[in-house]
Amino acid sequence: MAYSELIKNFNRVRDYMREFFVYGFKSREEYTKKSARSYDDERRRLESWLGDFMQFRQTPEGKNVFLSVDSRVSRHNPLYKAWKTKSFTDGDITLHFILFDILDDPKTVLTLNEIMERMDEYLTGFQYPKMFDVSTVRKKLNEYVSEGILIAEKKGRTMAYHRSSFQASLDPDALDYFSEVAPCGVIGSYLLDKEELHEGILTFKHHYITGAMDSEVLCALFQAMSEKRQITMETMDKKRNKTSEADVVPLRIFISVQNGRQYLMAYLPRTRRIRSFRTDSILSVHPGEICRSFDEYREILNGMLPHMWGVSTQSFSDQRMEHVEFTVRYRADESYIHRRLEREKRCGTVEKLDVNTSRFSADVYDTSELVPWIRTFLCRITSIHFSNEALEAQFKKDLEDMYALYGLEGGDGT
Amino acid sequence: MIFSELYSAYYNAVAWILKAAIDHPLSRGELREMVAKHAFGESVLNIEPALTEERWQLIRSDGTTPIQHPPTMPLTTLQKRWLKAIYLDPRIRLFTDEDTGLDDVEPLFTKEDYLVFDKYSDGDPYEDEEYIANFRLILDAIRNRYPLEISMANRRGRITHRKMLPETLEYSEKDDKFRLIGASSAYGETVNLGRIMKCKRCSEEVPIRLAQRAPFSKETVEFELTDERNALERVLLHFAHFEKEAERIDEKRYLVRLTYNSEDEAEMVIRILSFGPMIRVIGPQRFVDLIKERLNQQKSCGL
Repeated sequence: MAYSELIKNFNRVRDYMREFFVYGFKSREEYTKKSARSYDDERRRLESWLGDFMQFRQTPEGKNVFLSVDSRVSRHNPLYKAWKTKSFTDGDITLHFILFDILDDPKTVLTLNEIMERMDEYLTGFQYPKMFDVSTVRKKLNEYVSEGILIAEKKGRTMAYHRSSFQASLDPDALDYFSEVAPCGVIGSYLLDKEELHEGILTFKHHYITGAMDSEVLCALFQAMSEKRQITMETMDKKRNKTSEADVVPLRIFISVQNGRQYLMAYLPRTRRIRSFRTDSILSVHPGEICRSFDEYREILNGMLPHMWGVSTQSFSDQRMEHVEFTVRYRADESYIHRRLEREKRCGTVEKLDVNTSRFSADVYDTSELVPWIRTFLCRITSIHFSNEALEAQFKKDLEDMYALYGLEGGDGT
Repeated sequence: MIFSELYSAYYNAVAWILKAAIDHPLSRGELREMVAKHAFGESVLNIEPALTEERWQLIRSDGTTPIQHPPTMPLTTLQKRWLKAIYLDPRIRLFTDEDTGLDDVEPLFTKEDYLVFDKYSDGDPYEDEEYIANFRLILDAIRNRYPLEISMANRRGRITHRKMLPETLEYSEKDDKFRLIGASSAYGETVNLGRIMKCKRCSEEVPIRLAQRAPFSKETVEFELTDERNALERVLLHFAHFEKEAERIDEKRYLVRLTYNSEDEAEMVIRILSFGPMIRVIGPQRFVDLIKERLNQQKSCGL
């Protein structure tokens, strides 16, 4: 098929965008094991959509393409552009603008035949006027009814159509904000496209934009949750390069603003457990039956929250619940360290032992999830204890390895 | 459907083109300009011929259009549901008091459906009336370029006053806080909105002379990453919001360069430390020394 800037299916480009944006060190040869043409097409599309952010580097293995975005500078998520690339036919776009012109006034209510008659007036001025058959127009009208932009109602015994009359006056700054921070923010970006281009006055720090690529999956999950439905989802195990299917009850989306990942927390009837799935590993979502126990499962998940640091609902040791505690010391003018513990903890307790010392402790399903956070206090940790002994040994060995990396092994460090 | 041609850049660009063509016959140059503004780099290669060759029968050969009304499309159900969801978020009041008129629409999601599980717990007070009033005044001052007089408590609780010409509001999802950035008469160029006690339009008739705010200076840190325990993915995702470059050294090792604002250096140090021995900073030496200093201090803690 000839190259086109527009695409029919989002999933393939979703993979390439992630590769170029998150990783960006692979050469063309590594992508082209499956198909060189596919790589060239996707690269060309991304260059067209996101040209300002595409960069190239020549390496001995070949030319590397990568996306580099400083999300503190870029005021709108550039990855949303990829969602505005759905392909269509010549008839689709012609019909779209003619139909909405005929039905411009919400009070205009017309039957299919009346619409067909008016359409001719639009097309006569062209050299080879398009001919739309009744079934094509009916199909398009019904499609728009299901999207909620047209309303169908009976006019006598015949179905008639008019445009939906809802108009909202939307604050562009509010749209700017929520299109960046709310789930499925690309929908806000669609709304912004209707406005005259305006310079946003909001900027964003610590802003992860990769979640944008999972918008379709997220939308389907929200839909299923609002209807309390079980779903069948297809997931991709990237390490094994294998897809599989799972029947689950979606309960809640967990979003990280510290690493940019999004997770589905779901109940698995097969194992009778609640566990997490990365949304970027979910390829498709198919709604199933209504789940009568939805509220009960969600309540169970909510009850687990005080013992979840991240998304893990089970430990890798033989303990159902693991304990961790550590003590930090600080100078009198560093009282912000105690405040850091208070504001950054997601569960557990913080105690002030004296003016220079504070202790954090928690009982969670999986203490390994706390390790990165605990390491941010390196330079002041005076004691640490994990009930998971293997983890404690690993933590201490890692510390030794860090000393060795910087030539600090041996001695007392003074 | 979230991935639909109804929201596509092509439909959007054509809507703007038709709006202009209703007003006056459209020249090729104008058409190209509008495509460049509303669509993508290569779009002109598709949209222009599709219209001029009459495959999309919307613009006649003389540049006029049979379309009579500026194109508009009502909101789709999906858009209404998303709007309803954000109008349920208390932060909407920072921007507007208006009602959506979406009473009969189901929100796409509610706070029961998602959880931001790792934001800090001392976020700004979005439902506080004083905070909302300050926020709206600042938004207006940025839009209309006028200076403000701000009274705020500093870290030690002392009240300070400053005049400021606001430029932008910056939101951190991790801190769940807004900061005002602008040119200031004193005490730095950023202000946490949550610390503002009083904020009013500057009473001086002639705009005060404020120094031009210097842009944040950029720094680069370079480190070697060892891909164990899934570190490659964790690190690159964690730092994805920075301008960055990654190169493979061998099967397990990668070289990563990150560019960050110099004011965030302390934060960068602890974020890099959080990856433990998977990251070894190799430059600049000043940054290496910052890491070594922390590790030396840690050694002295006896762990």
